[in-house]
Amino acid sequence: MSDEVNSKWKNVMNFPTNVVKSIFRNPLPSSDRGRAATSFTNFFLHIQPVRVSRQALRPTYTMGLGLISFFLFVILTVTGVLLMFYYVPSTTQAYGRMLDLRSSVAFGVILRNMHRWAAHAMVATVFLHMCRVFFTGSYKPPREFNWLIGVALFLLTLLSSFTGYLLPWDQLAFWAITVGTSIAGYAPLVGKELKFILLGDATVGQEALLRFYVLHVVVLPLVLTLFVAVHFWRIRKDGGLAKPEEAEGVPVLAAAGAAVEQPSRRFSIQGLVRGPFVKIGNLEEDTVFSWPNLLIAELFVLLLTIAGVMIVSFLFNAPLEQPVNVMHPPNPAKAPWYFLGLQEQVSYSAFWGGIGIPGIELLLLVLLPYFDRGKEGVGSWFARQRILANSLFLVFVIANVILIVIGTFFRGANWQFVSPF
Amino acid sequence: MRLALAVVSLLVMIGSGVVVYDQFHSRWEDNQRAYFHQALEQAKTPAERASLEGRQPKIEQTIVTAFGETRIDRCQSCHIAVDDPRLTSAKQPLKTHPYSAAMGDVFRNGRWERRHKFSDFGCTLCHDGQGRGLDAADAHGEDPFWPSPMIGYTIQDRWSKETAGHLRGADFIQAKCVQCHADKDFAGTPLVKRGRELFFKTGCFGCHRIEGLSSGTIGPDLTEVGNERKLDYLWGHIVDPRAYTATSVMPQFKLSDDDKKALVIFLKSRRGASMSESSVDQFRMQTSTTNPVPESVAVVAAAITKASTPAARGEQLIQGYACLSCHKVADHDGGISPDLSYEGIIRDQPWLIDHFNNPRSRVPDSNMPAFGLPESDFADMAAYLMTRTAPPPAMTPAETFKTLCARCHGEKGDGKGINAIYIDPAPRDLTKAEFMTTKPETRFLTSIDQGVPGTSMPPWDKVLTDEQIKGVFDYISKNIVREPQKQLKPRKVPEQNPVPMSAESAQRGQAIFTQRCIGCHGRKADGRGPNSLDISPRPRNLRNSAFIHNTPDRRLTESILYGVEGTAMPSWMDYGLTQSDVGDIVNYIRSLNTTGK
Repeated sequence: MSDEVNSKWKNVMNFPTNVVKSIFRNPLPSSDRGRAATSFTNFFLHIQPVRVSRQALRPTYTMGLGLISFFLFVILTVTGVLLMFYYVPSTTQAYGRMLDLRSSVAFGVILRNMHRWAAHAMVATVFLHMCRVFFTGSYKPPREFNWLIGVALFLLTLLSSFTGYLLPWDQLAFWAITVGTSIAGYAPLVGKELKFILLGDATVGQEALLRFYVLHVVVLPLVLTLFVAVHFWRIRKDGGLAKPEEAEGVPVLAAAGAAVEQPSRRFSIQGLVRGPFVKIGNLEEDTVFSWPNLLIAELFVLLLTIAGVMIVSFLFNAPLEQPVNVMHPPNPAKAPWYFLGLQEQVSYSAFWGGIGIPGIELLLLVLLPYFDRGKEGVGSWFARQRILANSLFLVFVIANVILIVIGTFFRGANWQFVSPF
Repeated sequence: MRLALAVVSLLVMIGSGVVVYDQFHSRWEDNQRAYFHQALEQAKTPAERASLEGRQPKIEQTIVTAFGETRIDRCQSCHIAVDDPRLTSAKQPLKTHPYSAAMGDVFRNGRWERRHKFSDFGCTLCHDGQGRGLDAADAHGEDPFWPSPMIGYTIQDRWSKETAGHLRGADFIQAKCVQCHADKDFAGTPLVKRGRELFFKTGCFGCHRIEGLSSGTIGPDLTEVGNERKLDYLWGHIVDPRAYTATSVMPQFKLSDDDKKALVIFLKSRRGASMSESSVDQFRMQTSTTNPVPESVAVVAAAITKASTPAARGEQLIQGYACLSCHKVADHDGGISPDLSYEGIIRDQPWLIDHFNNPRSRVPDSNMPAFGLPESDFADMAAYLMTRTAPPPAMTPAETFKTLCARCHGEKGDGKGINAIYIDPAPRDLTKAEFMTTKPETRFLTSIDQGVPGTSMPPWDKVLTDEQIKGVFDYISKNIVREPQKQLKPRKVPEQNPVPMSAESAQRGQAIFTQRCIGCHGRKADGRGPNSLDISPRPRNLRNSAFIHNTPDRRLTESILYGVEGTAMPSWMDYGLTQSDVGDIVNYIRSLNTTGK
């Protein structure tokens, strides 16, 4: 009897500890095995490898761009869900809701600003991430498929941002979407139909607003999340971030500030993780434990992203122009900035600028990893062996940036060339 | 690494703190506390005092459902004392809203009772602004894109400084009273009434439609202009119509600032249906087949005295309808439209009546509206104009040019006279030697003598003698063109179109036209192609029947084959068009102009 009471009493006494233990299965790790087990048994941490190559931790190697993109997506999801509580996808109410957000909803301004600026930033960081992957040759086998997923993610990001652009239902939104969907209308054969399906009408109106809303808050984020999951999974299965063929004893530790403990006892990672693609075992000398090295780096990037978005959002308000007036288009009517390169091209030739050239560019991006398969120059920026490929891609990037800059700053009424100075 | 981590963590924390502070520190709470404090000082009874002491700041809002769309007005969150008579001499935002017997407020039993209770009407129904805003800048509508800033109070950043100076004052609120008090003689809105009179008196109604008031079609419909435009646009557009729309043909009327203000208030009051109209009233108005008799007819008819002759009555009508706010007769000059001083010898009665009924039947691109006045008025006005038969006194050619030609062609002859921008086709630029020296002298003499049909160039043959006309032309050649006539190489141009007129020929002509000509002359051949705005002189409107009928085949063919010197029309022979191609094009052009031969 007293034993039973004792044990029950013990349960009561140990209740807090037991709860904590049931959630955090491992104590804060102090041994290598502990570090491995922590990474391995925690749902959120198991996405990461147990050990991570020093190269991958070097800030100058990845610049954290992929991670920043992901965190921006998280910020967008959180702020987006909060905004959904206030938004009504109706042409008569949407703009009023924007004004509400700006003037009377608690934290409305900052929410909207964060959502807007994070969205713009995400388009930029995803593109920069793609550039990073190209310039470091990280798309080569076995990572071809992940490059494809990445291209898809880039398109999904553009689409998400584009569909969100319409929702405030102000002049900026209306005419940007009018221009954007007109570009889609130039596609051969299916252009007209595509435009009609997108808008649900001949012009941008209530149907378009509803469609864009559903795409923006349900369809695209779901697809995007799925693709992000596959993207991350493939990183692991393809053996982590791309690195040079043979480890070159690079002095990376100081830069990354990684904590290195001398292993007290050697054990094989394969003992914990099995699978055909795991390659980390051979490179133990060049790797460090994810806990804490990778986690701290990730936390840093997360906080940096939040701080950046928050500061920008506090200082700069997201634009909101007059309510939609279909009779008075602004002159010039401009698409969102990331499509201004396209619009600039369209001003020369509707089909080639809007569909032909972008289509070819996209096709080249898709085919790239299947035709550029050499192993040279993988894992380092602007490798000498890849000078041709890198130069071509650089030209592609610069050309697009120049077109966007021209479209953004140098085009005035009637798309005439004007000087912003 | 850890330092960096600490720094960004700190950044996030500070950022959150600033955001939260910014969110929850509200000026309106300070205002309310200040109000409680001031009211407490003036409170007399203990009950008053007790009620004030217990109060905490909270958002005060009125939900107005009785007037159109539901409005949520939170203005009283700051302007909390609007209904508290103790604070009549306080400073804004804590001042009592003035009581006014004129607005129907009643002083009863020692206290005022409002006619327009804030609980019924809210604030923005009369004042505009943004009712939901809790921040002064938001609420007053200072945001440059807010469509209805507080009327007569808020000046938005984008408004031009000189315009904004005119747009302050309580008078502008009259534009809002009219939403309910739509009766045109309502005593509370004298400026709306005056603006409405001006709308008819200065001829606005001729071009602009306002549902139930006027039916002009040349300018934009102004039925809902009060919803669409802010004060600065209305004022600015009246002051200089081309400041906002470079191609506007609206005349720049000479109005006093008071008149402009009245017009702006009247226009601002045009918001489609007023609150006092039911949808049935609206429907009746829209489907009514009787053209609403312009109020100006009534206004003018009441103003003119009994006249003995039609001509005398016509003179009064021309004054009353404000024809001279555009046209010129003797010393009265609106500075916008042609001089009518010699109309009696330039035109005949049928021409005038035709032109009154529809100016475009005579000058297809005229910007003069068909005012739709009663026929008897038109007849009398024509009768008066027909009395203007005295030719100008004998003058030197230079004086003649200055008196008769410079109004359109400009003192320097550069085609930039005071009314040139209102005339389409534009007056010829006589300084363009390339054009002037390559056309035969007879063509110019004929144009002066007979006028150019379909354009504003009138026939001067009855006003000037042949010697005077020759004298003016010589003056132009010597002092304006300043280059001798050129001898052109003989050109092979048929007198008559060699291709007989037929549907097939016109069709072939249309095909070539669509290929070569529409860039300037436009798809409809009306001279308004996409390039037309960049070209001077503008491309010819080939649907101007009066002009085309009067232009022989020879000239059309020559202009196409050899081009027109001094204009953008190129020599199409150089681009491979043959005589028979040009014949087809001429036939196509002729086929567009089948009426009014």
